[in-house]
Amino acid sequence: MNDMRKIERDAKMADTKITARNVNVFYGETHAIKDVNVDIADKTVTAFIGPSGCGKSTFLRCINRMNDTIDICRVTGDIHLEGTDINAPSVDPVQLRAQVGMVFQKPNPFPKSIYDNVAYGPKIHGLARTKSDMDDIVERALRRGAIWDEVKDRLDQPGTGLSGGQQQRLCIARAVATEPEVLLMDEPCSALDPIATAQVEELIEELRQEYSVVIVTHSMQQAARVSQKTAFFHLGHLVEFNDTGDIFTNPSDPRTESYITGRIG
Amino acid sequence: MTDITPEQAGSGRTHSTTELVRQSLARRNRKQKVLQGFGIAAIFFALSMLVILVGSLISTGYPAFTQTHVELEVFVDPEEVDVERLSRGNYDDMLAASLGAYFPDVDMSSRTAAREVTQILSSGAELKLRDRVMADPSLIGETITIKVPAADNFDQLNKGLIKRDTPEENRRLNDAAIERFDTLDSAGVISTPINTTLITSADSRFPELAGLKGALVGSFWALLVCFVVSFPVGIGAAIYLEEFAPKNRLSDLIEININNLAAVPSVVFGLLALAVFLNWFGMPRSAPIVGGLTLALMTLPTIIIATRAALKAVPPSIREAALGVGASKQQVVFHHVLPLAMPGILTGTIIGLAQALGETAPLLLIGMNAFITSAPSGPLDSATALPTQIFIWADSPERGFVSRTSAAILVLLTFLITMNAIAIYLRQKFERKW
Repeated sequence: MNDMRKIERDAKMADTKITARNVNVFYGETHAIKDVNVDIADKTVTAFIGPSGCGKSTFLRCINRMNDTIDICRVTGDIHLEGTDINAPSVDPVQLRAQVGMVFQKPNPFPKSIYDNVAYGPKIHGLARTKSDMDDIVERALRRGAIWDEVKDRLDQPGTGLSGGQQQRLCIARAVATEPEVLLMDEPCSALDPIATAQVEELIEELRQEYSVVIVTHSMQQAARVSQKTAFFHLGHLVEFNDTGDIFTNPSDPRTESYITGRIG
Repeated sequence: MTDITPEQAGSGRTHSTTELVRQSLARRNRKQKVLQGFGIAAIFFALSMLVILVGSLISTGYPAFTQTHVELEVFVDPEEVDVERLSRGNYDDMLAASLGAYFPDVDMSSRTAAREVTQILSSGAELKLRDRVMADPSLIGETITIKVPAADNFDQLNKGLIKRDTPEENRRLNDAAIERFDTLDSAGVISTPINTTLITSADSRFPELAGLKGALVGSFWALLVCFVVSFPVGIGAAIYLEEFAPKNRLSDLIEININNLAAVPSVVFGLLALAVFLNWFGMPRSAPIVGGLTLALMTLPTIIIATRAALKAVPPSIREAALGVGASKQQVVFHHVLPLAMPGILTGTIIGLAQALGETAPLLLIGMNAFITSAPSGPLDSATALPTQIFIWADSPERGFVSRTSAAILVLLTFLITMNAIAIYLRQKFERKW
């Protein structure tokens, strides 16, 4: 019996991509993230939900150390990516960000051609030795971003000339071009119309099969649609973390219930 | 649940509020009209000042754009010039002989009489003839037609700037000289073509031979040195201060100092250059390289401030996108931020260079106001610059320099306007709407 439980436990732990323990984030004097513990699983979409200002984006940015660029921000605690502490001095944030890709709220393609947008990451990390290698990488990334068919004849056109939904899919393609292990998405659909949103959500479902996806979203319906695990944040605390179905049908914390029924937030 | 009755609510909205708004509207419209009036008056004042300035420059300067020439049939006497030593020929005698043809009652063999007649021609006339013969020695023995410049006094007479009706003792030219000039004029040999000498030749003691070539080349070298020094240093400093320097008291102090340097009077930079470049380093005096370095010191704060503003204007979303893909800070700056900030940087640089072009005080102090009659062949030769050349000409006593000073100012203004126009065009063309 114990052996079987151990195998189960081992299997479960192998599935975990990111573990966060006792993470605290301070913006100067303000205590923004208070003692958060969470496990992000591989090949799963994890949604962070919560009212505005509760710290979900801040916590998301801890995972790829984007908070390092803010001078007054201080992060304490352990965040491990596949066993390695990402805040250790030996870890270069530049390399970490090749392994942990990020997509932002407002689509922000570089003012370069579509090809150069996607090729930039692999180029600076030296992932392609020849031009044809790079062409393959770009095509693979654009296919994963579900935008290859739309742009394959105009790869040298500027990325900023695409529509909003296409730009966001281009940004997703750019993020997966460096073959990351984790994909972070900070409200990726909030600047998009419903049809583009549906396209991106469909894309997220496909991406889940290869990567671990963490998505911050304001829309509970979106969280319910795309994610398998959901974490509810409130005022900097991680209030509840469970399977999506359980969070929305049978929340254990009263604050969670207030939020999903619309009484708070 | 309000305590206001329906009647109260309705009446409050329709009567007193609307009435108050209407009254204040009349007052606001009046204020707006007054402000618009002031704006139009200010623009009118500025434009009229501009018109007066340019108008006065053009009215004093336009005579300098033409130069009186005398067309002569000159016999290149083989006895006066030797093929072996072309530069030693007696070209002035040849010119005197051809002039003498118009004054049959003057004894050209008498030196004083001949000199009075040849007074009409500029002293550069024989040099022009000499250059022609040296370029083509086969002309010896031939009679050639050559247009030579007239002396400055006669140039002024021809343009009406020396008035014929002033009494003879107050005039620079006596009646006899004027009569000789009229003789030539009625013979049809006087003409006033465009004064290309103004651009093609260097400074001279004689106004009719003086030009801006030396000053233009000197200014060019000085600006080139200024650009080569200030552009990379300024941009590098701005990038470091904006992107990489830690935000502490020291960088605040540096920023304050740079902003102050932009306001320091330019003559102080001239004194600095005199003490440091000429005295300590022993660099050649009056050389464009020293002028360029001084101008670079003055242009640096402008470029740094413009570059920092351009870098700040690049939206953070681009930086975040680049960081998110795994670019290092340096890659973010050089691959993304700098190319996007380049139009703003170029605009600031061109404006800074245009300011440097017009700076006079520092160049005076390092000696670029010497009297130099040839264009510099490099940045290490002595030279003048355009603004200092204007300064020199403004001080010269000859009548011809009065109009040439204004003409030189117009040339300088043309360059400045062109440079600023290019800056504005570049800014418009590359302006991005985020």
